[in-house]
Amino acid sequence: MKKLIIIPAYNEQENIVNTIENIKKQAPEFDYVIINDCSTDSTKEICQEKKYNMINLPINLGIGGAVQTGYKYAERNHYNMAVQVDGDGQHDPAFLNVMAQKLEEENLDMVIGSRFIEREGFQSSTVRRIGIVYFTHLIKLLTGYVITDPTSGLRMCGESVIQQFAKEYPNDYPEPESIVKILKAKKKVKEIPVVMKERQGGTSSISPIKSIYYMIKVTLAIIIEKIRRRSES
Amino acid sequence: MMTLKLQIIIGVAIVIALIIIITMVRNKQLELKYALTWMGAGIAILLIDCFPQLMDQLSETMGIASPVNMLFFMGFIFALIIIFVLTIVVSRLSVRVKELAQEIALYEKNEKSE
Repeated sequence: MKKLIIIPAYNEQENIVNTIENIKKQAPEFDYVIINDCSTDSTKEICQEKKYNMINLPINLGIGGAVQTGYKYAERNHYNMAVQVDGDGQHDPAFLNVMAQKLEEENLDMVIGSRFIEREGFQSSTVRRIGIVYFTHLIKLLTGYVITDPTSGLRMCGESVIQQFAKEYPNDYPEPESIVKILKAKKKVKEIPVVMKERQGGTSSISPIKSIYYMIKVTLAIIIEKIRRRSES
Repeated sequence: MMTLKLQIIIGVAIVIALIIIITMVRNKQLELKYALTWMGAGIAILLIDCFPQLMDQLSETMGIASPVNMLFFMGFIFALIIIFVLTIVVSRLSVRVKELAQEIALYEKNEKSE
């Protein structure tokens, strides 16, 4: 079983070392790769100095393009599982083994780490919670499945989903949209409860001003994904 | 009817525009593929400008009082089409750029590890 952790990082100089050291300590059986999305701070230099396994994008692609690079890397190096862990230290690597076990034992295609099953740890702000609940309902309406945390970045997938994501992955705000894509392709998706921390430093990619755009864009993307013809994959 | 004055102004403008387009293609600042639509449009407008009676019939059937307005209307529609086609081209280009960037990054990674 080859298992890969994909860590998209854009200007994460304050968090990246902690994130990687945590992973090495708590999930040693996983390989990891940092996707440096053309950071303008010293993320790249820090990772080079520490000799971390890193892929450097020559131009800034945004979260979707960066994560997809990770899936392409996973596909070409024949990994059986790949999990996305954000570079900002929100995701606790301690949950990775539980997720991998669940994926393997229940023969699933994707396991999502959800903050809202046991409601422990950082629960996000009220406004964001409203947005997340809205997406949960929208996805339920369109696909019939309940995903309690559709914006969770902590997601582990098996080979078939790795291949699908390597071929096709949304550009920005990819999480809810790609879940609909996966559900539509009749993949087996389950959630397990996880605890997330508040981000350790730096700033989130979604500012309050962008959140309206985020809601509209993702809503449209989900609906279009639903009515889109099944892709060749 | 169009006045002779307007006909001359439009005609001169179109001819200048066509010359600029052809010069740019010659200097390779503009792809011939994309210049063709512009040249086609320019020639079409030039024809209409020289033979305004072509427009009279058309504007009458469409219920547009003045043939000049018909000319502007067609120009506007044409401009919209070109802008829309450009949006399609940009979408396609952005996908290609993304894929190229990813390939370069993965390739560079491979080179280093070997």
